[in-house]
Amino acid sequence: MSQDAQGATPDSRSESELTLVDADVHQRWADDEALVQYLPERYKDDGLVLPELLYRNPGEFLRQDETTEDGGKPGSDLEKIADEHLDEHDIDYAMLTGNSWFNLAALPHRDYAHELARAHNEWLVNDVLPVDDRFMGSMYVAPKAPEKAADLIREYGDHPQIRQVMLPGGAEVPYGRPQYWPMYEAAEEQNLAMAVHPFSEGHGTSNPPTGAGHPNNYIEWHTLLGAYYMGQLASIVTEGVLVEYPDLRWAFIEGGYGWLPHFMWRLDKNWKGLRSQVPWLEEKPSHYIRENVWFASQPVEEPERPEHHDQILEMMHADEILVYASDYPHWDGDDPTWGLPPMDDEMERAVKHENAAELWDLPTDGSELQ
Amino acid sequence: MTTKRFEICPAAEFESGERRIADLDGFSVGIFNVDGEYHAMKNDCPHQRAPLCEGKLGGTTESDTPGEYDWVKPGQVVRCPWHGWEFDVTSGESVFNPHKVKAKTFEASVEPAEDDSRTPDGEVDVIEGEQRATDGGCEGCGVDLEGEEPPVETYEVDVEQGTVVVYL
Repeated sequence: MSQDAQGATPDSRSESELTLVDADVHQRWADDEALVQYLPERYKDDGLVLPELLYRNPGEFLRQDETTEDGGKPGSDLEKIADEHLDEHDIDYAMLTGNSWFNLAALPHRDYAHELARAHNEWLVNDVLPVDDRFMGSMYVAPKAPEKAADLIREYGDHPQIRQVMLPGGAEVPYGRPQYWPMYEAAEEQNLAMAVHPFSEGHGTSNPPTGAGHPNNYIEWHTLLGAYYMGQLASIVTEGVLVEYPDLRWAFIEGGYGWLPHFMWRLDKNWKGLRSQVPWLEEKPSHYIRENVWFASQPVEEPERPEHHDQILEMMHADEILVYASDYPHWDGDDPTWGLPPMDDEMERAVKHENAAELWDLPTDGSELQ
Repeated sequence: MTTKRFEICPAAEFESGERRIADLDGFSVGIFNVDGEYHAMKNDCPHQRAPLCEGKLGGTTESDTPGEYDWVKPGQVVRCPWHGWEFDVTSGESVFNPHKVKAKTFEASVEPAEDDSRTPDGEVDVIEGEQRATDGGCEGCGVDLEGEEPPVETYEVDVEQGTVVVYL
């Protein structure tokens, strides 16, 4: 689908020199001061105060085999990411998604959240992206301050390595609401994708993952991440975001994809009878998802029978919308060597790099990002 | 079958609760001191070949009734750093499915002291012998780990002359 939108042909797609694009790599700062230095004076004494995930993982959230040489947390040594993840696995570009406890949607104070976003972006462009030209950056915004977020998107969006704007998986209200649209207008204008990634959903001022209420522990919370994504996707599609901003591309990262056939079928079925509630949707809802939304593969779905995975890929049109992600260095990551199940060559090319090249408008010759 | 003998370090320098990762003739092996007993397990997760023995070491839970926990096997369970699968380092068994997923453990022991100086701390001294363990591949690798054979081995450990020795 999107190759049609961008005027590319199947032939030109197959000429891509890329081999692997990773949609989810988590870098972090070794010390809070790395960000605090960029805060305005009025917040410097506060430091970084965010609702850390209260659910615990008995095996830790970060891969214990990736601790840095000086004992730092995995992901805090940027050159180690480049050497031991990108070099090791021949990754052409890696989307750095940041430190996922930094939940700017869960903070009650809009101005502080906005200044944290700016400080994060300063750190990103000054101290992270220059380390390796294969790094792509996710800039952060405070979703509760969408007008200011739009200004930030215009301020940082010209950086050649910044390719997307990060939103936490849950916020106070769903992401289709018009209050957020100034961000989307700016992102479309800047040719940036909007991305959704899990943070500390259910904490601070964000809603619980489902209407059933707050999960009891991490296994329940982690299993339900797709429920946030279903809520956000339904909101974005039915409120008409993808109609209003047809060139805006979305990345749904780490929320799963096995639910997509059910979700798209149900939405399409309902649209046939309830279209009058969303008359701006001139095509069936799944059409807009296939045109504008991509889904990251990690954590890969693991059906009991391997052939069922191929069937899921076919049912969700994965050749158009699934992108590989490792989630390095998190505990549940999918290693480039072992994480992806076997798939046919065409599907593998699409998932490993072709779809990502469309999502983030990447050069297919692997050249430096412009 | 013949075995190969590897000296790890003086037992006096390898205290209870500690672990070491050693390259034994091409095999990465985790050696654990659990309450004074030494155990060795292949550092290779049967799921996706991750360095299993580098994960968090501790106990785990059991329960007879929803909502109640018993803390069991303290210091005896390693959680793979990729995906958190739990293995008992004394047996190589998977905690969640002991009959279907088993890690490879090796013999490990402390032998009476003779000449500690010949084994500098942190170095592995290879003693002559035929190699028994031939499984350098990934039999049973993947998500489907059904079967009786342990996909990751445990090995015999002895303390000989005050030195911790692993037999592959």
